Amino acid sequence: MRAYVLRRLLLAVPTVLGVVTLVFVLVHLIPGDPVDVMLGETARAADKAQLRRRLGLDRPLATQYVRYLYHLARGDLGRSLQSGRPVRDLIVARYPATVELAGGALLVAVLCAAPLGIAAAARPRSALDAACRALAVVGTAVPNFWLGPFLILVFAIGCEWLPVSGRGGVAHLVLPAVTLGMGMAAILARMLRGSLLERLGDDYISTARAKGLGERRVLFKHALRNAALPVVTILGLQAGGLLAGAIITETIFAWPGIGRLTLLAIQARDYPLVQGCILVIALSYVVVNLGTDLLYGLIDPRVRS
Amino acid sequence: MTRVVANRQVLAGLCIVALFVLVAALAPNLAPVGPTTQNLSEDLRPPSTAHPFGQDKLGRDVLSRVVYGARISLLVGVLVVGISAVLGLGIGALAGYAGGRSDELIMRGIDVFLAFPGILLAIGVAAVLGPSLRNVLLALCAIGWTGYARLVRGEVLAWREREFVSAAVALGATPGRVVWRHIVPQLLTPLVVQATFGVAGAIVAEASLSFLGLGVQPPTPSWGAMINDGRSFLLVAPHVALFPGLAMVLIVLGLQLLGDGLRDALDVRTED
Amino acid sequence: MLCMLAGCTSAPPTPPGCVTVGLDTAPLTLDPRFATDATAEQIGSLLFDGLTRLDDQARRVPQLATSWDMPDAQTYVFHLRAGFRFPNGQALTAADVKATYDSVRNPRARSAKQAALEPIDGIDVLDALTVRFRLRYPFSPLLNETGLGILSARQIAASPTTPLPQPAGSGPFRLALVTDDRVVIVRNADYPSQPPRLAGVVFAIVPDAVTRLLELKRGTLDLVQNGVDPDSLEWVRHQPTLQLLTSPSTTFHYLGMNLRDPVLADVRVRQALAYAIDRDAIVDTILKGLAIPATGLLPPSHWAYSASVPTYEYNPKRAAELLDDAGYVDPDGDGPAPRLRLSYKTTTIELRRRIAEVLQAQLANVGVALDVRSYEWATFYNDIKQGNFQLYSLSWVGIEDPDIYYLTCHSSQVPPLGSNRGAFREATIDQLTEAARRSVDVDERRRLYAEVQHRVAQLLPVIPLWWPTNVAAVNRRLHGFEPRPNASYASLVDAWVEEH
Repeated sequence: MRAYVLRRLLLAVPTVLGVVTLVFVLVHLIPGDPVDVMLGETARAADKAQLRRRLGLDRPLATQYVRYLYHLARGDLGRSLQSGRPVRDLIVARYPATVELAGGALLVAVLCAAPLGIAAAARPRSALDAACRALAVVGTAVPNFWLGPFLILVFAIGCEWLPVSGRGGVAHLVLPAVTLGMGMAAILARMLRGSLLERLGDDYISTARAKGLGERRVLFKHALRNAALPVVTILGLQAGGLLAGAIITETIFAWPGIGRLTLLAIQARDYPLVQGCILVIALSYVVVNLGTDLLYGLIDPRVRS
Repeated sequence: MTRVVANRQVLAGLCIVALFVLVAALAPNLAPVGPTTQNLSEDLRPPSTAHPFGQDKLGRDVLSRVVYGARISLLVGVLVVGISAVLGLGIGALAGYAGGRSDELIMRGIDVFLAFPGILLAIGVAAVLGPSLRNVLLALCAIGWTGYARLVRGEVLAWREREFVSAAVALGATPGRVVWRHIVPQLLTPLVVQATFGVAGAIVAEASLSFLGLGVQPPTPSWGAMINDGRSFLLVAPHVALFPGLAMVLIVLGLQLLGDGLRDALDVRTED
Repeated sequence: MLCMLAGCTSAPPTPPGCVTVGLDTAPLTLDPRFATDATAEQIGSLLFDGLTRLDDQARRVPQLATSWDMPDAQTYVFHLRAGFRFPNGQALTAADVKATYDSVRNPRARSAKQAALEPIDGIDVLDALTVRFRLRYPFSPLLNETGLGILSARQIAASPTTPLPQPAGSGPFRLALVTDDRVVIVRNADYPSQPPRLAGVVFAIVPDAVTRLLELKRGTLDLVQNGVDPDSLEWVRHQPTLQLLTSPSTTFHYLGMNLRDPVLADVRVRQALAYAIDRDAIVDTILKGLAIPATGLLPPSHWAYSASVPTYEYNPKRAAELLDDAGYVDPDGDGPAPRLRLSYKTTTIELRRRIAEVLQAQLANVGVALDVRSYEWATFYNDIKQGNFQLYSLSWVGIEDPDIYYLTCHSSQVPPLGSNRGAFREATIDQLTEAARRSVDVDERRRLYAEVQHRVAQLLPVIPLWWPTNVAAVNRRLHGFEPRPNASYASLVDAWVEEH
């Protein structure tokens, strides 16, 4: 097991390196000068040139890349061009908020999708199945930036149960997590239903039924275990998508997470900050993937080889 | 085949999608007014007999814009999925068939694309190239091809070892021909299912890009842009975003029925 | 005070005596030596004092300095008032003034404000309450830079070339907390003239406009200035707990043109475009009446404003005539084929795009086909700076000294040196603006700038669109707040809240 984990982590290094390189190239290619953004219009050309030199922005791209990797290897993510603060501090300040939101969204997604998906598979073409379908459609078709304000109107303005926006206690987490988790819940519910229905048609299930095992036991003990596999895979892949949805959710709910930090950094052409944020995001993705693979191994012992 | 047609889900889904395709095709005939005809003094009027879906901020007829918007949204959906699928098919088949080192290399490449947050890639593309319909397509394709590549690669790897394939190779068939004639037909069903969900996803993704200001340019009507625009009027004129929103919900429903129905009818494996 | 601090930093509901203000972005840094974004300047006016401050006519009036005199055209002597203190109890003296300005002038500090202080040759401390600025040459706009917030020499010594994370000023409020989603300031009870009545102010960062509206309704935000979509303002008026306050602003929204382009180099084409735009229609419907159609850069409240300039009322017939004269005839009369195709760049902000669509339709009426492209800010600004555009629209925010005419119209000020983005070149304008910067006589400057305004309106390097009105959505429990022309929050000093 340890060897497996180690090997996977080792394999992740070129992936992360690839992402870092891609970001570096992309962000430097985008038109727009961070020195302009920082110094504004009335700055003199000489001052701008001097600043560019101080920040190392006048060196050839290859040199800047190598310097970046060198600092990265020593754990130095550089300083934000806009505020001068270390990139690491800026990210560390906001990362927990992102984890909190992603975790909340995942919880909401699983709590909504699991019962509905299972119930829909247990009773196909029933009202529950229709409800599962409805969740899938609404979750996919209604964009985050509409679901959010709608939920706020109902739960924070209509009945004042929850706060409108911002990060605070658990009450603050509910609406953003539901908004972000809906899309994922939709996919998981359909996935689970489909996967479970297929497993329920398998030979060994008929055998179990013939043996006289109760329907519930059949469902949970046998079919679900195997049906969960593709769902877990999807979960891992979707975890990356959580970040994409998170930028919008973070904007609407004034949630101080990494997604919005990255967006603002891109808009300001704050290269070190953009690179740092994407590095962290890519690393998170790799870790989550490793986690789902391990989970996969737990559920299906045959995979652990 | 009869099983496919007889499946009620497929039928329902097909009907809905066909309806939208028809609406999009016949847009000029169906829309009461042009989608860009402004009438500033009648901004944000609620639905009326002259304008069944009401009017938007610039006094334009929402019904006409929804009808014309069907063209853009369907175009986005179909093109994104089409290009992503072809790209993904090619790369995935290559990886799966080649196996070994090349496979590993390509898989790393796919991983890099997957680890890169999609929406940020879209922002990057839009920032470099400027927002436009063409660049929306580009950005969404850049994100979307990986799913197809993974799917295809997995299937190709599995089928590669089958007897009839080795037989074909032994008989002198080139790898390309083997892939095309023997493996691709097996892939068609999971590919089609993934594609129907992909179209829905692309249509919704366009809306998200509009939120970030990177979607189609004015005055082109797209459902995504209309829904985003209507957000500012959420409290005073919800009809502006309601009708394109309903259109989106309906087409997603149709595509999901189609996709699920096809999968149920063809009994396709769902492994990724 | 610590209890107040603890109270103010907790999540809503707002603690007693405090007010919550909604902002759409966080200030990058509050250090006045480095702060350039509007949010930082607006909050900064509550935390720091400058030698002077701006009044509603854009004139410089005393703040830290009770008076100033000019022994000669190149020297300013400021006399400071006693009684201003920093949080550690230390009094603000001329040495602090010198330290602050020298810190900005230091090239190693890479401050954006350095270039504006270039005319300063040196700063001398004459005594504890007197400071002298020596200039290299006469430069009347220098007074604009005397609003710079003063920090203590001790703080500056601790951080001479990088922004302070939590700068301490002598102002009516003290900075208590800066996080990613809020800035909290608390009352400075020792403020000399009149300490504020509010216990503190919480600036909450709420990026989305709709969410800000909903927070206002819920009562977790008390004040949002210029952050509400014009169409929602009617809704705000109908809320029993909210009210709208307006004031004219010093913002100028305009349509910029690239005079390097052969089509736009012809003044008739530029004037035709001006006649083709129906600004009243846009102001009435899109902006809901919250703007005044503009005649030029300087707003009517400005001391140098001149009303006698040529204006371009909506007149599509005249526009068509001018285009005919210029040689761009309509090929098919009233049909769809255009005389002229022009590209128009704008940012991705919703309102700007909506306005772009209306302009597109209005110009189509006179046969000009407008190709609208919206870009995110940095790309857009890059294009404008490099002259890679035909038409664009932008605003000048916080117009103070009429010297902005030099920055925007003088032939030497083409980017990257200045802001003459359209490459406008006109000898008389050059001479007039140069003379006006050198003169220190207010009346002479007023006369010179009146002529500048007249010539600029004739030659139309940019088309004036409108002066937007500042709008503040305010909870009725907050009294005494008035939006200022430069949209600062300074009047919070006199504001108070009623408690139930």
